[in-house]
Amino acid sequence: MVRPRRPLPVQAGEGRPMTLPPNPPQNALRLHRELERIWGRPPGLRGALCSVNHSEIGKRFMIASAVFFAIAGLLAMLIRAQLATPEGAFLDAAQYNRIFTMHGSIMMFLFAIPMLEGLGMYLLPKMLGTRDLAFPRLSAFGWWCYLFGGTILILALLAGVAPDGGWFMYTPLTSKAYSPGINADVWLLGITFVEISALAAAVEITVTILRMRAPGMRLSRMPLMAWYLLGTAAMMLAGFPPLILGSVLLEVERAFDWPFFDVARGGDPLLWQHLFWLFGHPEVYIIFLPAAGAISTILPVMCRTTILGYGAIVAAVLGLVFLSFGLWVHHMFAVGIPHMALAFFSAASALVAVPTAVQIFAWIGTMWKGHPRLHLPMLHLMGFFGTFVIGGLTGVMLAIVPFNWQAHDTAFVTAHLHYVLIGGFVFPMMAGVVYWLPLILGRERVPGVGTAAFWLIFAGFHGTFLVMHLTGLMGMPRRISVYPDNPEWIWPNLISSAFGFVMAAGFALFALDLVLQVLFGRRARRDPWGAGTLEWAMPMPPPSYNIAALPPGPGADALALARGEGALPGAPRGQRETLVVDTLSGAPRFVAVLPGNSLLPVCTAAAIGGFVLLMLAGLYGAALAALAGVGAVCWWWQGFSGRPTGPATVPVAPGLDLPLHWGMEDTLARSGLVCLLVADGALFGSYLFAAGFLTVIAPGWPAPASGIGTLPAGLLAGGMLAGLAVAAGLARVRGARGAAAGAVAGLAALMLAGLLAAQLDDPTRHARDALRAAGLAYVALHAGVGGLLALVCAVHRRDGAIGPGAQGVWRLWQDFTLATAAILVALVAVQEAS
Amino acid sequence: MTWPWLALRGPILWAIAFSGIYALHGVGCTWGWPGVATPLGPLHGVVLAGVWLCALIGAGAIVLTGPRGADRAAAITRLGGWIGLAATLLTLFPVLGVTSCG
Repeated sequence: MVRPRRPLPVQAGEGRPMTLPPNPPQNALRLHRELERIWGRPPGLRGALCSVNHSEIGKRFMIASAVFFAIAGLLAMLIRAQLATPEGAFLDAAQYNRIFTMHGSIMMFLFAIPMLEGLGMYLLPKMLGTRDLAFPRLSAFGWWCYLFGGTILILALLAGVAPDGGWFMYTPLTSKAYSPGINADVWLLGITFVEISALAAAVEITVTILRMRAPGMRLSRMPLMAWYLLGTAAMMLAGFPPLILGSVLLEVERAFDWPFFDVARGGDPLLWQHLFWLFGHPEVYIIFLPAAGAISTILPVMCRTTILGYGAIVAAVLGLVFLSFGLWVHHMFAVGIPHMALAFFSAASALVAVPTAVQIFAWIGTMWKGHPRLHLPMLHLMGFFGTFVIGGLTGVMLAIVPFNWQAHDTAFVTAHLHYVLIGGFVFPMMAGVVYWLPLILGRERVPGVGTAAFWLIFAGFHGTFLVMHLTGLMGMPRRISVYPDNPEWIWPNLISSAFGFVMAAGFALFALDLVLQVLFGRRARRDPWGAGTLEWAMPMPPPSYNIAALPPGPGADALALARGEGALPGAPRGQRETLVVDTLSGAPRFVAVLPGNSLLPVCTAAAIGGFVLLMLAGLYGAALAALAGVGAVCWWWQGFSGRPTGPATVPVAPGLDLPLHWGMEDTLARSGLVCLLVADGALFGSYLFAAGFLTVIAPGWPAPASGIGTLPAGLLAGGMLAGLAVAAGLARVRGARGAAAGAVAGLAALMLAGLLAAQLDDPTRHARDALRAAGLAYVALHAGVGGLLALVCAVHRRDGAIGPGAQGVWRLWQDFTLATAAILVALVAVQEAS
Repeated sequence: MTWPWLALRGPILWAIAFSGIYALHGVGCTWGWPGVATPLGPLHGVVLAGVWLCALIGAGAIVLTGPRGADRAAAITRLGGWIGLAATLLTLFPVLGVTSCG
């Protein structure tokens, strides 16, 4: 490993920020041209397809999610038109089912999450004072997965085969017996496809925040937005895998009749509800936290003061991240679970209001100590306060079991969730859009229209949903298309529908305001709100590389940075360089070289899209071939990871040379893999939860006697574990031979897993057998990927290109595979013994 | 151990205790622990309360051993400990009095 050649010229005391000596000034225009040549992209379609730039990808996410929001909004208007009268003939029941399902699914998966991803991707590097995200190609890959997955869902809507089982897709309604068409498959495959982008974004965001901040930016002093996004990303890594597992299991049940959710064969529909809400409730906070980050950033600027209670807010984020995983059963209070379990989740659901309240009081205190200015972003923040607090309070009401039983599955819950989501996400996001659009566009807002839009949205929203609480308390269930026998629901529904259209007009006006700003806005002056935060130190709009030199310390001057008076100015070596820092102190560690424009992300996403379409068509053999195609495309990703040439160190600041990342052990790739393994571990933990839940709770157990032979199965499992252990051992050996032998050991483990599969009982017989087959498939997939990583190391070693980082990646993966395989084998052994 | 890990100790302990007690509750109901008498009461309640008590002691120890400094990192670390203790106390207290499996 290469070390810095001399001690870093930084001060390390808490409270005393570190600073690097800046580089001498250069010609700003020459620097700009040099950087743009390296960080920019080719013009035209090819450039659009191969761009990996975080600003461009972030903007695409935000624009596409706004389009999806508009589509879902149109669907909402169709729903309100249908419910405006008790016997609406506007939609038939089947259309209505598809429309409310798609409204919820699009809003959750294609609008809210991608919008926060886009905002995070666009803003984070700028707020942290770096040039791009940690894995630019991964950002682009996530974008294409999102676009293709979302397109599949919208095309299904247009073709009349959209999902129709509700946005949470409860079984058995969505099992093959009751949903025989491909509607449910569209949801399961399309949403899982989109979720790839969420996991990619979570990995990106986590690694970027922890390792790519400006030099000297301590973890305890980074912008609050970064804390919020870090919490969000951590929740995404832990929260999405249960849904991915549930979706895969349900799709496998539908496609191959493996009975995970079939009561008659040892499955249980409640398993789906657990897996869904293990994701679904943290999802609310995944959506809320970035919005709260926007509030914590914008509010002090609007009030001309600093945020009150930075430490308390960070602790509140920490509390929310954890507590939000202890609430999921409150969505299942009515399914008939024991009182004690109800009490656990009821108490946790009430307790989670505390960290939320801490933030609300910190924001109120910030307004109190400052001098609020009622600019348009502040108006939207006021809209947030007036809406979200009501949603939070009805949430506490729903946390109380007896009330929940009364209000369950009524319009009251619909009203509550809209208060939380529109209050907690849409209003802050609108504030964020209005606040940051001058940065994104370099243009000022055209006055007038935005204010009218706000008032229409605010009045329309409360007119629609405040009365909906009452409708629910009067007993109106969710998801009914007609109510001919309940005249008492007519007026509240008519009021909701009328105000719903007012709200829609407000959103249309909001969109018009943005268009006017794009077309007619005057050139904005730098930092128009007087924020003084780092993102406003960029040129407006920011160029592809963000800043010509990285900020050497706090209080960086924008013009000085443009002249290169900071760290790592320009791109003198013709590659995309940025600094990697120590997680805690922000002390510079080494220089990362990021990959450039590439068609690999779009090609990989297209290959996965092909797999999804073939699955939807029921061509499972061809789908398997497409999956092999995905593996083949993935092989090309490794071409960038090893490079033998180039200098060992590069100058960063006067007196400070740092190594390039090729020679480092703790590379960004290794950090990314750790994040990925956290998600993988959550998936594996969800699998163990499923196995435990079905064993303990599901009817239809104990399972029928197993037909797997103890000796042959035991020998094969032992051989598989031995192969994986050998591969894990070889991953610790440097050299091409060790890597090649590791690939062989991985392949041997894969083959033994294949032979073991032949020993298993028919997975369609009972849920236990299906779980075993699923577990073996999980191990086989990991063994296969481990073999590929070993092969990558062998090839790079042969070419003299491998660094310690790639070897570390392989070793981590192999260790994880061995550990999970051993746990699965032990689980089966215990089942067989008992 | 760095301060972010120290700040996470309390919430992680709560997460382990919450998951563990929820799992033990399900296992106990299936295996009939409420019907098994012990000198301290039904086995189910004894096991759940015992695990809760251990978790409370652990969470209390985390609070007591928290850093004393006045800087921001120390403050966040201390608050993390308190979050763990409060969450363990308030979300799991039903083990004391609520009907086990009904």
